[in-house]
Amino acid sequence: MTESAVKPTSPVQAPPVVVARGLTKIYDTGGNQVHALAGVDVEFHRGAFTAIMGPSGSGKSTLMHCLAGLDVPTSGTVHLGRTQITGMRDGDLTLLRRDRIGFIFQSFNLLPMLTAEQNILLPSQIARRRIDQARFDHIVDVVGLRDRLGHLPAKLSGGQQQRVAVARALLNAPEVVYADEPTGNLDSRSGAEILTFLRDSAKDLDQTIVMVTHDPVAASYADRVVFLRDGRLVDEVLDPTAETVSEHLLKLEA
Amino acid sequence: MLRTTLAGLRLHKSRYVTTVLAILLGVMFVSGTMVFADTLEGSYEESVMGSATSVDAIATPEADEDAETEDGFPADPVPFEQSVLEDIRALPEVTDADGLVRGQAVLLDDEGRAFGFTPPAAVAFGETSRFSASEGELPAADDEIALATSTADQTGFEVGDTVTVLDPDQDKREFTLTGLVNFGVDRSYSYGGAVIFAPDTIREMTGADGYSEIDVLAAEGTTPEEAAAAVATVTGTDVQTGTEFGEKMAESSGAQTELLRIALLLFGVVAMFVAGIVIYNTFAILIAQRQRELALLRCVGAKRGQVFRSVLTESFVVGLFASVLGVLAGVGIGMAGARFGGQMMGTEATASVVVSPTAVIVGLLVGTLMTVFSALVPATRATRVAPLAALQSSATASGLEKGTGRVRVVFGLLAFAVSAGLVALAQMASPDPSGLFIVTGAALVAFVGVVILGPLLVRGIVRVVGVPLRRMGVPSMLAVDNSTRSPRRAATAMIALTVGATLITGYSVISASVESTMTAQLEEQFPVDYQVSAQYDPEARAAAADPEEEPEEGAPEEEPEEGAPGEGAAEDGTSEDEAVGQETGDPLVPVEVEEKLNESPLLDKVMAERNTFLEETTDSGMTGTPVTAYFGAEMGVDIQADAIEGDIADLEPGKAIVSENSADGLGVGDDLTVAAPSGDLELEIAALVENGTSFWGVTIAPEDFSAAFPEIGESSLLHVRAAEGADPAEVRDAVYTAVEDHPTVQVMSVAEMKNQFSEMMDIAFYTIAAMLGLAIIIAVFGISNTMALSVLERTRESALLRALGLAKGQLRRMLSIEAVLLCLIGAGIGIVLGVLFGWAAGAAVLTDLIFTVPATQVAVFIAVAVLAGLLAAVLPARRAAGTSITGALASE
Repeated sequence: MTESAVKPTSPVQAPPVVVARGLTKIYDTGGNQVHALAGVDVEFHRGAFTAIMGPSGSGKSTLMHCLAGLDVPTSGTVHLGRTQITGMRDGDLTLLRRDRIGFIFQSFNLLPMLTAEQNILLPSQIARRRIDQARFDHIVDVVGLRDRLGHLPAKLSGGQQQRVAVARALLNAPEVVYADEPTGNLDSRSGAEILTFLRDSAKDLDQTIVMVTHDPVAASYADRVVFLRDGRLVDEVLDPTAETVSEHLLKLEA
Repeated sequence: MLRTTLAGLRLHKSRYVTTVLAILLGVMFVSGTMVFADTLEGSYEESVMGSATSVDAIATPEADEDAETEDGFPADPVPFEQSVLEDIRALPEVTDADGLVRGQAVLLDDEGRAFGFTPPAAVAFGETSRFSASEGELPAADDEIALATSTADQTGFEVGDTVTVLDPDQDKREFTLTGLVNFGVDRSYSYGGAVIFAPDTIREMTGADGYSEIDVLAAEGTTPEEAAAAVATVTGTDVQTGTEFGEKMAESSGAQTELLRIALLLFGVVAMFVAGIVIYNTFAILIAQRQRELALLRCVGAKRGQVFRSVLTESFVVGLFASVLGVLAGVGIGMAGARFGGQMMGTEATASVVVSPTAVIVGLLVGTLMTVFSALVPATRATRVAPLAALQSSATASGLEKGTGRVRVVFGLLAFAVSAGLVALAQMASPDPSGLFIVTGAALVAFVGVVILGPLLVRGIVRVVGVPLRRMGVPSMLAVDNSTRSPRRAATAMIALTVGATLITGYSVISASVESTMTAQLEEQFPVDYQVSAQYDPEARAAAADPEEEPEEGAPEEEPEEGAPGEGAAEDGTSEDEAVGQETGDPLVPVEVEEKLNESPLLDKVMAERNTFLEETTDSGMTGTPVTAYFGAEMGVDIQADAIEGDIADLEPGKAIVSENSADGLGVGDDLTVAAPSGDLELEIAALVENGTSFWGVTIAPEDFSAAFPEIGESSLLHVRAAEGADPAEVRDAVYTAVEDHPTVQVMSVAEMKNQFSEMMDIAFYTIAAMLGLAIIIAVFGISNTMALSVLERTRESALLRALGLAKGQLRRMLSIEAVLLCLIGAGIGIVLGVLFGWAAGAAVLTDLIFTVPATQVAVFIAVAVLAGLLAAVLPARRAAGTSITGALASE
């Protein structure tokens, strides 16, 4: 990308990193067709921290999976930068995920037999990428894992495990990081830590982040919240607070 | 509860596929063996009974129980005379009777050399006989002959061919082959083969007189029993009816089948044992995976006993199901085995398949009980699951086991120490078959040690081989880590493979070591190219006891040990003017052959071995001591052996080489007196050699031998060495030309002998390897199953890896490497144990064992292990790579 985002606080003006057009996803469950996504158009800008919200079954996870190339939409297109990822073969999708996307899941983020450090370095090793030691040190220090690097996940608290996952997602400076309910299993203090890391990395490292959550407090850390219902994008809030998000949610549920 | 169990089984049936296969294979082998053996027995019985019941009574001569030959063997029965047959025919209870005349005759093969190690039996029988031609016609004219089916197969003769047989004067006579007779399992004919003459020809051809069997047909209205009783009054012997005779024959052939059955069942036991390990591991893993399920059951009120019974019921259903399939497969295999194997065993494949209830019941019992038994420990473990476990979610913690306990290490090392002690014990004791049992015991103890230390071994080995593997990329790095995640599980899976690998390697090491030891002994002790001897002739040996009878030509075994002490002590000093070498009863190589060989420029050296037996020596009271001299051989150069004391090269006139058991406590430098017929021979012992070398008894210088035993002018064995650089084909011609006029003289090429020997060893090896192959296949199923269950457990992990950018191929490679690693460790430990105990077993039995590790075979085993690992990983890897990422991530 030649353009550079000068003002991360005004993400609207930066070029979109991820663009989805007319996304639909139809599941066949025993003759019943379920429209998990019913035509979604959405874009995410560089350095933006976006939260995707919606009630259970609104299709937020499906949207994220399709955006990340983990799932294949029934129709519509997804672009990552200039690459159209819809229609790519599985092998290319794998490489794309490996090289250009970061992931943070709700739980079971780490491989139990690898140490924290090995877990952080895993995607780079899979890609046989040279590790940027300075960035590694910086991220490890930011998330405060320096003295936990040699531990196995079983010896780490839930919050620490999630910080390892964050560090892993950020290490390669991927074009976009997808976080699926990253604080779902954490107590509020650990959750706040993780969300702060995410917000800071968007600001300081110009990192594009897309987070799926159902927690208004978590969403309030984002720059923008988009609301999904019945597989459609129905609302959007910029510079959200927990209150505004809750209000919008309540309106949706009603 | 039962409903829950069955519902669970239905839901998880795919997890049992490989377990079912493992049990199925084991049961199949057991039932298959039974059906095969039963069918074989049935068809033997049928053929024996069929031929025996074609006559009503069978009279065979009995030997006088008190009579003994001079060697102390029971005397041969005296054949019936012609008058006995006439008398039987005259009986009112008898319609017809005919006698069977039996002798032996030298049959020449298509190259004009004597067939067989001993001359085949020559028989003739009349119209009334339990034998008949199975192909063509029985010989009727004096230029016609028939052969036993087995003899025809071995020589390649077919009906219509011209066959040459030597008459008693060693003159060739030609016959036309008119038919074949199948003697079936009758041992007296299946060993050395048989030729069948017309009744009038046989006396002329063999000199045999009288009848060794009289077959009788009863008169109309007379029962076989009455006929037999009537015949018995004439013969004065116990006469059997055809049915009785057949039953007796069937019984003795049944014993043979029984041996085969036991041998096969031994392999079946190994297979079932390995299957047991696989079953145990499957249930252990399943129980671990279903902790929450079981805890939930406990939460809703199931008692410990109910959980225990539930697991056992599950194993029972699985075991029974697999056993039923196994028995069905076994019947099929047994049928196929009887059809193809039966032909090799000398029986017609016409007999119908015998599926005895025992074969079915044993198969079902073995399979089901083994399964339930193997599930006992996992079932007990299941009862220990606390109800609370249902509420805990420990996704990351599961699958990581605690370290190996100190107690385990102590017991494991103790087992190794005991095993090492036993091996040392076996080695220190003198070579003895009982050492074999000690070594087997030691191997079992060591195996227990491996089982105990298995998890530790897996971890340790993976740590070492993991170092280079980790550098090879993420898949291999992850594979290394995965393989030690549950060391106990991995250890059990691999141990199943270790069983087979140990047995195969052990056997191959023993086989290779014995082969190279034998070859080296041949090469070292007799660096020769050909050995010339005469056809062994049991009748000639018997004749040796009776100096009146014309001695025949022939010679002893090829092995230098022939005529070992005590084998045939003939009277000493009865020096008649005929070839007195006959004293030993062993036929000799004519001097003419020796002379011709000596004349040939192509031959460098002809070493003639001459020997005799001394009834006893005056001083030490030795009996039956063989005295040997090697003419034309340089001691220590042409013939070698390690002396315990002294040097065999010191042999010169007036000196002797003595084997340990003939020395009777005497040592080098001591005086030994050999009582030759011409007077005592005073000798000084030059060297003392171990028993079992080429030197047996007393070996003296040729000059002394000629002086002391001038009457022995022929050799029992000639060792021929070709001149350097001579064309092998020309050498062969030269040797065969020398024996041309003496068809019974046997020529053995040492190269051919070695080939035959290694061929024999190879056949034995491949047979055993094929049998053990089943155990290996079962173990591979086990490893595959372990992998599949692990993959199931790690579904989310695999999805995570895929999300993070691990390609499908890499994921598959990861699992393949893990499986190969497991297989290699299992096979590796097996190979180490096999080499170790193969050596221990060989060294415990054979002195001077040349320890040989068959490198090629070991390399093949390793390759097989790699292949097995790849195969074992195919299905689990496909499954892992095929799982949808989002689905796996969503399922909690």
